[in-house]
Amino acid sequence: MLDIIEKTREEFLNEVQQADTLQKLEQVRIKYLARNGIIASLFDKIKTIDVAERPSVGKVLNELRQSALKVYEERKSQIEKAAKPRELPFDITLPGRYKPIGTKHPITQVMEEIKDIFISMGFSVETGPEIESDYYNFEALNFPAEHPARDMQDTIFITDKILLRTHTSPVQIRVMEKRKPPVRAIMPGWVYRNEAVSARSLAAFHQIEGLYVDKGVTFSELKGTLVAFARQFYGSSIKYRFRPSFFPFTEPSAEMDISCYLCSGKGCRVCKFSGWLEILGAGMVHPNVFKAVGYDYEKYTGYAFGMGIERTALLRYGIDDIRILYENDVRFLKQF
Amino acid sequence: MKISENWLKKYIGFKLAPENLSERLLMLGLEVEAYEDLSEKYAGIVVGEVVEIQNHPNADRLTVCKVSTEDSIKQVVCGAPNVKIGQKVALALPGAIIPRNQHDKEGEPFRLESAKIRGVDSEGMMCSEAELDLGENAEGILVLDSSARVGDPVAKYIGKNDVIYEISVTPNRADCLSHIGVAREIGAIVNKKIKYPEIKLRESKESVAKYAKVEVLDTEKCPRYSARVIRNVKIGPSPKWLQDLLNSVGMRPINNVVDVTNFVLLEYGHPLHAFDYDKLSGHKIIVKTAKEGEQFLTLDGKQRTLNSDVLMICDAEKPVAIAGVMGGANTEISADTKNVLLESAYFSPPCIRRTSKYLGLSTEASYRFERGTDINITVETVNRAAQLIQELAGGEVLKGVIDVYPKKKKPAIVKVRVSRVNNIVGTALSKKEIVSLLKKIELPSKPVSRDEIIVEVPSFRNDIKEEIDIIEEVARLYGYNKIETKTHANIDFSFNVRKDTLENELREYLVGSGFNEILTISLQDEQSMSLTGDNPIRTLNPVSEEMSVLRPSLVLSAIKTVKSNLYHGIKHLRLFEIGNVFHLKDEQLRNSLDGYNEELHLLLILCGNYTPVTYGNSMRKVDILDIKGEVSALLSKFCLDNYRFIYYDTYKDIYEQVVTVEINNEYAGFFGKIVREISEKLDIEEPLYVCELKIDSIQKGWARERKFTVLPKYPSVLRDLALVVDITLPQEALEKVIWEAGKPLCKKVSLFDVYIGQQLGESKKSLAYNIEFRAEDHTLTDQEVDKVIEKIIEYAHRELNAVLRK
Repeated sequence: MLDIIEKTREEFLNEVQQADTLQKLEQVRIKYLARNGIIASLFDKIKTIDVAERPSVGKVLNELRQSALKVYEERKSQIEKAAKPRELPFDITLPGRYKPIGTKHPITQVMEEIKDIFISMGFSVETGPEIESDYYNFEALNFPAEHPARDMQDTIFITDKILLRTHTSPVQIRVMEKRKPPVRAIMPGWVYRNEAVSARSLAAFHQIEGLYVDKGVTFSELKGTLVAFARQFYGSSIKYRFRPSFFPFTEPSAEMDISCYLCSGKGCRVCKFSGWLEILGAGMVHPNVFKAVGYDYEKYTGYAFGMGIERTALLRYGIDDIRILYENDVRFLKQF
Repeated sequence: MKISENWLKKYIGFKLAPENLSERLLMLGLEVEAYEDLSEKYAGIVVGEVVEIQNHPNADRLTVCKVSTEDSIKQVVCGAPNVKIGQKVALALPGAIIPRNQHDKEGEPFRLESAKIRGVDSEGMMCSEAELDLGENAEGILVLDSSARVGDPVAKYIGKNDVIYEISVTPNRADCLSHIGVAREIGAIVNKKIKYPEIKLRESKESVAKYAKVEVLDTEKCPRYSARVIRNVKIGPSPKWLQDLLNSVGMRPINNVVDVTNFVLLEYGHPLHAFDYDKLSGHKIIVKTAKEGEQFLTLDGKQRTLNSDVLMICDAEKPVAIAGVMGGANTEISADTKNVLLESAYFSPPCIRRTSKYLGLSTEASYRFERGTDINITVETVNRAAQLIQELAGGEVLKGVIDVYPKKKKPAIVKVRVSRVNNIVGTALSKKEIVSLLKKIELPSKPVSRDEIIVEVPSFRNDIKEEIDIIEEVARLYGYNKIETKTHANIDFSFNVRKDTLENELREYLVGSGFNEILTISLQDEQSMSLTGDNPIRTLNPVSEEMSVLRPSLVLSAIKTVKSNLYHGIKHLRLFEIGNVFHLKDEQLRNSLDGYNEELHLLLILCGNYTPVTYGNSMRKVDILDIKGEVSALLSKFCLDNYRFIYYDTYKDIYEQVVTVEINNEYAGFFGKIVREISEKLDIEEPLYVCELKIDSIQKGWARERKFTVLPKYPSVLRDLALVVDITLPQEALEKVIWEAGKPLCKKVSLFDVYIGQQLGESKKSLAYNIEFRAEDHTLTDQEVDKVIEKIIEYAHRELNAVLRK
């Protein structure tokens, strides 16, 4: 019996050494160590030998089982260790995992900044349609039919009477039709002009319109508000000036210039060596406009202003070709 | 418009440097776009007198001249054959820039230096007409008038001692489209009255009435027509001063009579026309509208087709001019003209504007007539022209002016309230101050009551019609920059409307979700916009074919953006746009705004990899579940559970795998994949996934106001459950069953695995869910949860033939 045990031990050790995968090792385990494996069957055989021998044989057999288990475990961890891929050394310079973050279009960003300034001064934000009628775009704004003032804005028509708005000013009319004074609102949006597309002009661009109607609104107030805006948006050190101009829907009409912030007023290519940049048109709402919306123009006065957004964005970001704004090249968009 | 400083000075004296004058005019509302000092080109070129001529020792064709300037005598080697002692010449001194190199093909200017010419020192150069860029004559030197003062800048004697201003005049200020008009504004600056031209005419005894007749048939379009006849003129070139003057303001001299009419046009801003009297049949002028389709040859040699709205000047037989726009070839002043009929009329601005637009012909005359000329200066201007023609072309001015002016225009009387001025402008001006401001620009006014002033508006200011117009004049004359800059706080949130709030929040959200915002122009090309099967709105006068229609959807302009990015090698795109789309609702209502539908939409588009290409991210390509996930996440955030998806699993237009989105049970948009054929047509290989939603629908479903829900007091129990179902069963069906059977303890059902495998059987799949159970009033026991799970399994088996995965 002891011989058999020793033979089994030898065979077991041999087979364990030969098993080079976990799978093979498992087969060896099942063969020898499982509930009905060889070692277990040896235990069964104890019953068949002489009673006196049984304790010593049992002892040897127990020793075999324990050492076999130990060998098996050792071999198992040996194989496991060999099979395990090598662990990478910790490298903090590996790139971090992240989810992408997007960007707002630069025009949106400039628009939001302008809106926020006026909103902080108590202006509402209103919108209106891009397809407009001649009435809202021109007539109600005191552009008579057959008047050369209409040439100031080359219009894209859909029919004789229906057109794409050439400015955001028709929203003034729509807001006043809807509300009684006081009205204080800004009106951002797309506008359209029949102009050839070039580095400096586009057939579609953004404007923001402003309107304030109340008792006692004066040109002086207009200046105050717009200067406050310009200082906030362009910087508190800018110089400014207002000069007479002409828009059919305001009178007196004005244009506002600020000192060129690229050259501090010394003169450069951007300000055409004048030291000044025109930033907006404005004026006191014309009585005919109040008449068109049924406001009492003796009781109320008001001012309106409008400015283009693209030019402001070009200046702010140092872009020299306006067309790149709407090419939407992601490499461009990601810069803002 | 070009304005000459010398010319201005005929009417107003001023000593303002061009820079200052420009600034002051700008502050009055006349924008000087640029100015050019013509004499700068001739710096260093002075009047010299030839005092000695000797032969050049080394060259037959050259002479060595001594030319005196104011303070010295210069030795000049000269090659001109016409040089003579005593001549006054244009002497360029070393350092001067010669305007044109006549020996160079390009004629580039060059800098003159002292030089040795064939061994003889030359300290200057006597210039030819060509070298001074005054004409083509390069044969000999230019000889100046003998009265020229030695040492003076030569610019003075060649019509170049002038500053030319380029002024941009706003459409309301027709009165400023002339030298007199600009001079009046300068009068306000320097506080002086302007001097109008003195008109002295020698009329003959013969009365004009015997020689010509004028009949105006359409007095609406032609409220006034004045004319004179001048006999026996001698047509020839204008004198140099007039030619120089016209040239300097960009007008080409033609002949003395035509040049005079142009001179008066630029002087007064009132267009005149000269006819060859002998070619006027019946010596008669009839003013009437044209026949529809009538042909007429204008003096620029072009055949024009007229319509019945066009006002024509005719003689007894035929049309001779398009009123206010251009004369006809048939009665043009020519070298043979002897007798001239001069027209000075006033035409109605809308009429001229329509004609000019219709013919596509804008002239100096039409430009002024359509802005409104001064009806009361027709006689003054025709007299002025007659006087000048008499001076320059001789002839006999017949006695009297034919003047058809049936309804005399009364000057506008405008009442202005001092209080109103101050209320609009924000000043505290007195009556006296206002009167004196208005006086500066020849607006006579007088106080009539404590608060009121009456202004009698002269006819040249036809833009001033009402009180507000006077207020503007007062404001600009007072000075916009003197008006106080102030604000009075009047905070009022009674109508604090924010139309853009949702848009702003969507943008913030999407940027946080890794989308780049694009903005595309609504005007697009018809071909690609029609791909969605829509009929896009066409514009009448497209900027270009590329921008001829209004887009009916944001999808195709976004695809074009994707395409251009792919072209630049940018392959992984997450883009969004918020913009308007346009539809014609009703063909019958094309001329009314009611016929059109304009909607603000939100677009999402995905292309390429789901996550940035970087270590640790999977390189998975986007698929339909990505766009679905983005839409679900966005709508869950804004609309909570006010939305649902409707799965048609079919094609629509250019989409496949289309899912309709409803918010508050109304159609709100869709998401899906662009069909392969369309992508391929547009040369895009990557699959594109898009979503387009109506902003208004999101607005309606927007659960902006939130209410707090008390947090659960008892913990939840989480269980995983895998069920095997038919492979074609939509998981949503099983999910619904779980919810249904799990009531009321089931709080959340999350699918985490879909598995197919041999063990499950051919047509089976396993769906594994993580389910959260919770009771509101106690902590759940395992037994309770086991019971619910059993119920779910049983229910799922009954309804969907599902079995628990073993």
